[in-house]
Amino acid sequence: MDLLMTEEEVRFRDAVRTFLGIHLDDDLKRAERLNPSFLADPDIGLKWQAKLNEQGWVAPSWPKQYGGTGWTLAERYIFDQECERAGEPHFRGASIKMIAPVLMRYGTDEQKAFYLPRILNGEDLWAQGYSEPGSGSDLASLKTKAVLEGDYYVINGSKIWSTLAHHATRMFALVRTADTGKKQEGITFILIDLKSPGVTIRPIRSICGTHEFNQVFFDDVKVSVSDRIGEEGEGWDIAKYLLEFERGGAFAGGVLRAMLTRLHRLASEPLPDGRKMIDDPLFAARLAEIATDIDANDMLELAAMSKVQAGGNPGSVPSSTMKIERSRIRQSIAELAASILGPDALRWEERRPLHELPEESEIAEERKVASAIYFNSRSQSIFGGSNEIQLEIIAKTLLR
Amino acid sequence: MDLNYSDEQLLLKESADRFLKERYDFDKRAKIVASDDGFDAGIWAEMANLGWLALPFSEENGGLGGGAVEISLIMEAIGRALVVEPYLASVILAGSLIEKLGTESQKAEILGGLIAGTSRPALAHAEKQTGFDLGNISATAVRTGDGYTLSGGKPLVLGGAAADIFLVSAKLDGNIRLFVVPADAVGLARKPAKLVDGSRACDLSLYNVPMPASALLDGDNTLVEVEAAYDRSNAALASEAVGIMDALLDATVSYTKERVQFGKPLAAFQALQHRMAEIAVKCQEARGSALLATLSVDALRSMRIRGVSGARAKIGKVSRVVAQEAIQLHGAMGFSEEMPIGAWFRRLYAIENTFGTTADHLKRYGEIIHDPAVLSGSLLREPA
Ligand SMILES: Cc1cc2nc3c(=O)[nH]c(=O)nc-3n(C[C@H](O)[C@H](O)[C@H](O)COP(=O)(O)OP(=O)(O)OC[C@H]3O[C@@H](n4cnc5c(N)ncnc54)[C@H](O)[C@@H]3O)c2cc1C
Ligand SMILES: Cc1cc2nc3c(=O)[nH]c(=O)nc-3n(C[C@H](O)[C@H](O)[C@H](O)COP(=O)(O)OP(=O)(O)OC[C@H]3O[C@@H](n4cnc5c(N)ncnc54)[C@H](O)[C@@H]3O)c2cc1C
Repeated sequence: MDLLMTEEEVRFRDAVRTFLGIHLDDDLKRAERLNPSFLADPDIGLKWQAKLNEQGWVAPSWPKQYGGTGWTLAERYIFDQECERAGEPHFRGASIKMIAPVLMRYGTDEQKAFYLPRILNGEDLWAQGYSEPGSGSDLASLKTKAVLEGDYYVINGSKIWSTLAHHATRMFALVRTADTGKKQEGITFILIDLKSPGVTIRPIRSICGTHEFNQVFFDDVKVSVSDRIGEEGEGWDIAKYLLEFERGGAFAGGVLRAMLTRLHRLASEPLPDGRKMIDDPLFAARLAEIATDIDANDMLELAAMSKVQAGGNPGSVPSSTMKIERSRIRQSIAELAASILGPDALRWEERRPLHELPEESEIAEERKVASAIYFNSRSQSIFGGSNEIQLEIIAKTLLR
Repeated sequence: MDLNYSDEQLLLKESADRFLKERYDFDKRAKIVASDDGFDAGIWAEMANLGWLALPFSEENGGLGGGAVEISLIMEAIGRALVVEPYLASVILAGSLIEKLGTESQKAEILGGLIAGTSRPALAHAEKQTGFDLGNISATAVRTGDGYTLSGGKPLVLGGAAADIFLVSAKLDGNIRLFVVPADAVGLARKPAKLVDGSRACDLSLYNVPMPASALLDGDNTLVEVEAAYDRSNAALASEAVGIMDALLDATVSYTKERVQFGKPLAAFQALQHRMAEIAVKCQEARGSALLATLSVDALRSMRIRGVSGARAKIGKVSRVVAQEAIQLHGAMGFSEEMPIGAWFRRLYAIENTFGTTADHLKRYGEIIHDPAVLSGSLLREPA
């Protein structure tokens, strides 16, 4: 075992760095800095995606045959760290990281050929339709109904907390096709065109003041049978496969390191009274502690992915640990950043997106968005299977 | 020593809770927050009728002679209901300074208007560089033939958006003094600022504002009184936080009793029961701290700091955890703006950053307990 880069990997890192230096412009970086949410504003994300697409770097984790990079694990790790270090907009959401792996594994050739290229070139933006008003942690209790009528399913019901559904062109959804047997067995995975008649989208604002998620209603919405993934009743297995990707399938460590670096820069700036937070031993100790958390999590990610690369499975304890730790680290960085604002923490800018406001100094802008980032970070331990559910998974494994 | 509320105090608490429950529900508040000036004149008038605006002032000044305990009860209710009107800023902070330092005619005029609900003063003291060092201001007052001219900048004046009168601190011959400056004074500019908790403040700038001699408040001990007024306000904030924490606990308990997942109410899961029990532990601790702060506002400075800054430090820490836990236990619902959870969370965050941060207060407390007499002294005090 070692952590050495090969000469080739060093050259790869330098090439990525050079590319980012040339193509990731200040406007995009600024917009991402001023974005309090998990995912980039789609207008910004798509701009960056288009540039990466020319280079063939949109989907580092996809195999080459589908338009991915076919990179090794080390290359993907390096790419993630470099992109985050440069401050790229986080556009890789439900499309690239969730529905794409499902299509590759369970989709028909027609489905793959139609949908995957549209994901790469940004023509389609996908929303995830899992949660319902009555079904959150208990996902399998979902009720949105799909009734087969000839070549179509007719969908009725509603999905909630659908991130970016108001920008999305399509939604992948779990729907109920049978009420008999175990609740998991009557679930089917389908693809819904969000422009279909009968779809209504209601915005929901979050506690950080941003409209990022929605409730989506289906009133007799027709979906062609050809837009079903897998067989009827196979939805639960597919959903679980997807959740593995949502919870730990891709590197997430780079963003944590980048966030901590931003906080370090903010804390190194003199305050109006001349002090610097970084000189405060309590603050410095907290920052160092978080850095050790990040290093440990990075190693866990690398080890887990190495296992995957070798054809194995990281197992539920490391996967759930990563989900829990990532959320906690993100939350503690955001909380620490918000704790050093002083009275400015009271000011609140309501306008969204923030990057449309007149430009100020980088530090002034960091201070402006810090509270919203802190508020937003509270969602990290809720979505994609809450931390309590992750602990349940770990406990079940231990006590089996 | 007596730590039981009197019958009158219990009645006050009950009436405050009832009034806000009936007249200030979350929807009504949302409308006020979204309105142009973020202030409801009708509610303010009702507060005047209920005597809230007269509460802390002595009877000779037209008040009700209430003490810190009465104020703490009102503040708890204000916390629960998330009142955005400037009760703390106008009545407790600015109002009490006028009572301490005002001339007879200033008291008659300004307190009279405040108690009647027609006037809302706001204290404009802290400046950009002030931080937690209240003496660090640079606004100036220069003597003229018949008065003074004032210049300086006062960012984030709490209650400043709805104020008609500012108590502006400035250095006169090197000493900090307070001046009564009407909001429409020549040379004064006010820019409203929206705050993270839905309330409104303002950024104030004064450029050669001419004031008559009668604008000056009494007293060579202005800075001492300003510090004491901030401590009264900090004790009030501690009680407000306690009201919010209890509200978060109540909301979380009732939500988890109703929300069913896996065929059971969430409250049936022991993992969550313990989380709520921990919240209750923190609520109890915070209540103890806030009560100590309340009963310390008139004590000797070192005891006052122990009570007040100790409470702000302690409550800052535990209230943050309680708010985070309440969101977590509500799931995505707690993360949406449609429930009051996020609004309570944000108000607690604002409290942590008002009149000193949690870290500032911990530092101030830490310094005062270096004195072994303070550290080793019990909470009971000798009579004055
Ligand atoms: C920002 C954000 C974005 C989201 N985006 C999407 C999206 O795009 N698509 C989508 O489908 N969903 C999305 N979600 C929804 C998310 O998946 C759910 O919020 C999550 O699954 C939890 O469900 P819930 O919110 O209904 O909470 P509940 O399931 O009601 O849980 C409430 C609380 O109880 C705890 N709890 C529940 N069951 C147990 C148990 N058995 N033991 C112990 N504790 C328990 C939970 O951990 C939580 O703390 C999003 C959520 C957020 C916050
Ligand atoms: C130093 C000492 C002095 C004591 N003195 C006295 C005494 O004077 N009089 C007296 O009556 N008893 C006394 N006890 C006993 C004490 O009350 C028991 O240890 C205690 O009630 C736990 O019971 P247990 O040891 O059988 O552990 P168990 O009940 O077997 O519990 C084992 C572990 O599981 C946890 N646990 C148990 N049930 C639950 C649950 N429902 N939910 C979550 N967690 C749970 C416990 O917290 C513990 O960590 C003493 C114990 C100690 C260690």
